[in-house]
Amino acid sequence: MKDYTYQSVYFAYLLFVLFASGAVYFFIRSIKSGYLGPNSEEPKYRMLKDDPQGDVKQPTGANAARRS
Amino acid sequence: MATQTVNQSTAAVATQEIHTDTTVKWFLLGAVGYFAIVGIVALIIAAKFVWPQFLGSISYFTYGRMRPLHVNGMLFGWLLAADMGLAYYIVPRLCGVKLWSEKLGVATSILWNIIIVSAVVTLLGGYQKGLEYADLPTPVAVLVVIAWVMFGINIFATVATRKYEQMYVSTWYLMGTILWTAFVYLTGNFATLLPGMTGVNQANLNWMYTHNAVGLIFTPAGLAAAYYFIPRASNTPLHSHRLSMVGFWSLAFVYVWTGAHHMLHGPISQWLQTISIVFSIMLLIPVWAVVYNFIATMKGQWHQLNDNVSLKFLMSGTIFYLLTCFQGPMHSLRSVNAIVSKTDWIPGHAHMAVLGTFSFFAMAGVYYVVPRIFKTTLHSEAIANWSFWLFLIGGLGMFTALWLGGFWQGWQWNNPSIPFIDTVVALKPVWLVRFFSGIMIFSGIVLFLFNIMSTALGSGQAEAEPARS
Repeated sequence: MKDYTYQSVYFAYLLFVLFASGAVYFFIRSIKSGYLGPNSEEPKYRMLKDDPQGDVKQPTGANAARRS
Repeated sequence: MATQTVNQSTAAVATQEIHTDTTVKWFLLGAVGYFAIVGIVALIIAAKFVWPQFLGSISYFTYGRMRPLHVNGMLFGWLLAADMGLAYYIVPRLCGVKLWSEKLGVATSILWNIIIVSAVVTLLGGYQKGLEYADLPTPVAVLVVIAWVMFGINIFATVATRKYEQMYVSTWYLMGTILWTAFVYLTGNFATLLPGMTGVNQANLNWMYTHNAVGLIFTPAGLAAAYYFIPRASNTPLHSHRLSMVGFWSLAFVYVWTGAHHMLHGPISQWLQTISIVFSIMLLIPVWAVVYNFIATMKGQWHQLNDNVSLKFLMSGTIFYLLTCFQGPMHSLRSVNAIVSKTDWIPGHAHMAVLGTFSFFAMAGVYYVVPRIFKTTLHSEAIANWSFWLFLIGGLGMFTALWLGGFWQGWQWNNPSIPFIDTVVALKPVWLVRFFSGIMIFSGIVLFLFNIMSTALGSGQAEAEPARS
């Protein structure tokens, strides 16, 4: 039995190749930038400090008592 | 209400003025409003399954118009708008700079509201393309593209001006969302309309779009939010940033190939079906990388779930993410697909992904962000907890009923001696459970809306009171 391939499959696979190529390109660039290197854990500590919104006001009533 | 300020420091107060967050406010409040409006549509649809005559004689309320309005309203009016609002909050903070253009952000928000209102009018009027997730008429879809370009420019320009060389994983996911959405949306909404794209050709592209709309739009946007808010809400560093990058890149490589599993046993090439199955199974890699990271982050911190509603939503969403992403690869096996495909199992699966996972992440973000951008306290933590439990119990009722009902339906459909209409009648109890679960979910939405709007509207009063250190 002939396994017919529709034209849309080629279009879809063109997009797949485009996505995969882009992913490979940026993945290699990210390795060169040290994302999988020894300093790759630095962003997770920095993100806890670079947001001043820790200043949110907390209630002092019952909810605050529960928190303590 | 008396208030106190925690972690107050001169430096923090000084930097607090960096972010005006006007765009965030516009997007988030609009999204929460649409969530409630479209929730009414969802209830009407659920009622129609149980009582098919309900509002049946009014053309605007027929199933064919309500269903696309529900799908597009929830996806674009609520979830994507909420994710965009959260992106406008997250990216400038992670980059240590102001949003590139607050004016452009507000203009994007206004355009987004025009799109949603246009969608409501056109879909209720019966003007739609009849393509799954791509129902919006072409002129409205063009507006979506314009709004997305405006959003992309603002986010990428903000990233380009960042203070730090290495970007946190949420920034990667959001940039991926913007780029992937551009290709995926254009394919689903415009390439499907090209001359000659009919029948199976059109279905192939449409399902590639539909699956990638979930996998390459809502998944990365939702994970970006979860990767940001789990550490922030628990005040605990992410377990492993390196592992998060492994998860990101494996998603980037694997997800795009999976759309054809929606057409298993259909009139498309067997090799295309097989490739989609193989890549669907490989999805377990990024999923495990994400879920393990989130759960390991919470090690020793689970007690925080007692009084932290954002964390409740985030960790419940994580469990739903694990479940939904285990279901997905299993559905793509030919033997399982022969039973569950086209049955009620699929909406059960889809609702767990879009509501149970990504809407939970978005609601966690909204609960975290809104008090902070309005510089006040959440209106009521008790109401927030009530909304969580209503969502969780209602959601579980709905998902479970649809899975069981769908599996039962699939077995019946595979038995040619059972008349089709009998399989419809048999599912009525399942749809009744779905309706009452829907009422619980809608009640959760109403409480969520009330709490967020009260927080926003009452913020002036709270701000007027002196903060105590």
